[in-house]
Amino acid sequence: MAGTAFSLHDKVAFVVGAGQPIGRAAALALAEAGAHVVLTTTLRTKREADAAHACMNDILTRQRKSSVHAIDVTNEQDVQTAIEHTVTQHGRLDILVNAPDLPFAKPLPDVALGEWQRVLAVNLTSVYLTCQAAAGPMLAQQKGRIINVVSLLGERGMANGSAYCAAQAGVLNLTRALALEWARSGITVNAIGAGWTEGMGMLADETLRQQLTRYLPTKRLAQPYEIGEAAVYLASDTTDFLTGQVLWIDGGALSRL
Amino acid sequence: MSVLDKLRLDGKVAIMTGAGRGLGREMALALAEAGADIVAAARTQAQLDETAALVRAQGRRCLVIPTDVTDSAAVNAMVDATIAEYGRFDILVNNAGGATRGMNRPVEAITDEQWRTGIDVNLTGAFYCCRAVLPHMMRQGSGKIINVTSGLGVRAGRNNIMYSTAKAGLINFTRALAMNYADKNIQSTLILPGIFPHDDPELLAYWQGGKFIPVGRPGKDDELGPLCVFLASDLANYMNGELVALEGGGLAGGQVPTGFAPVVLLPEGEQ
Repeated sequence: MAGTAFSLHDKVAFVVGAGQPIGRAAALALAEAGAHVVLTTTLRTKREADAAHACMNDILTRQRKSSVHAIDVTNEQDVQTAIEHTVTQHGRLDILVNAPDLPFAKPLPDVALGEWQRVLAVNLTSVYLTCQAAAGPMLAQQKGRIINVVSLLGERGMANGSAYCAAQAGVLNLTRALALEWARSGITVNAIGAGWTEGMGMLADETLRQQLTRYLPTKRLAQPYEIGEAAVYLASDTTDFLTGQVLWIDGGALSRL
Repeated sequence: MSVLDKLRLDGKVAIMTGAGRGLGREMALALAEAGADIVAAARTQAQLDETAALVRAQGRRCLVIPTDVTDSAAVNAMVDATIAEYGRFDILVNNAGGATRGMNRPVEAITDEQWRTGIDVNLTGAFYCCRAVLPHMMRQGSGKIINVTSGLGVRAGRNNIMYSTAKAGLINFTRALAMNYADKNIQSTLILPGIFPHDDPELLAYWQGGKFIPVGRPGKDDELGPLCVFLASDLANYMNGELVALEGGGLAGGQVPTGFAPVVLLPEGEQ
């Protein structure tokens, strides 16, 4: 299997959350494998927009096309416009990577309804919006790759993480349901299950980082590229028969009792 | 190094059990195409020779070692021969196995012999191979172990009692490997292939052309190799204890016999 079997030469990818570590890593890996990559932010913040533009410049230096849409992924109009623009610009849409991440943790009695709704909206509803917007071009092509990045908190619970855990689990089962819905339409829908990764929002606390590093079978956190690069495999033409699955990349975290 | 270069296996050595035919041969050829030299192990010399010829046609080396994986002395000898020939190895794929022992029998009709030999070939053989390679991988400071399980290892079917049990055992054996050797830079993962009839008309008829598989067809022989290459490559360096199923979507659902739920609308006034 030469590297060419996995080549994404001239495919068109759309990456949500490219101003955040894992989304950025996925976007760069797809570009390295030959894809043109349209980038979006998760939220309309200057910090994310700056990071997404830096990612775009890295892709341009690899001689691949790239552009940035600074959007709020929970805004239906923003998402539709960005995807329509991508199809107009590039003539097609082959790969959709959803890597929005809004971390949040609090004891449940203190979680305001507005907070709960926002965490669900950014982490879960955004995936519904992008998949719905991408469905048009992908169903027309009868070919597409959708890759949703989820946290291992979608599979295991964590105290104080109720809203985030619920949202991540929602993305996992949305992935399975859509995989079945589009199984005969040439669109595969899979997830990358990210283990504890450097730069991840839920890891802001230094004590938690240190505890996890000791706890993990690998005794280290993942680097964002170790999560993002797997998108190349899932996006490649070798995976027509792989759908509805979660590709966990967790350093053994889920194996541990 | 580009991400596509990381998917190359140049200079690496891979042992494939059950390499004489079917998916074992396909995976061995894919690893060879990605640059790895191969050790082809299985019981039947003639089939291994065919695999070896195909590997060599790709310009890679292939060591043929007829091996019964249920014989631990034979497994140890196979690993020793590999070290003697190549001086190293990087990848072990435990692919040998078989579902036929005790198949189509209820629990009360499975003989001691069928149960024991079935568990031996599907589970104990993988243990023997891992036991033999791990000291070398630890000395080397790296290694990848890929175990091949089955849909019957995560869900139960009718009439496959021994096989379901053995393949489930292999899954948790892999997690145990991950847990215990992760900090030695040895990654253990699982491939779960769906239905691959190898263009055999009889098998295709048996599986009804794969019409009950969500994607509407069974797997093609050349679809499994790339997954094996991915898991054996540096792209999978943080994967450990995890299972990747390549099976056309069946495991994602299986709850609705017709495939699609009928449309259910929200109540009046709830939209």
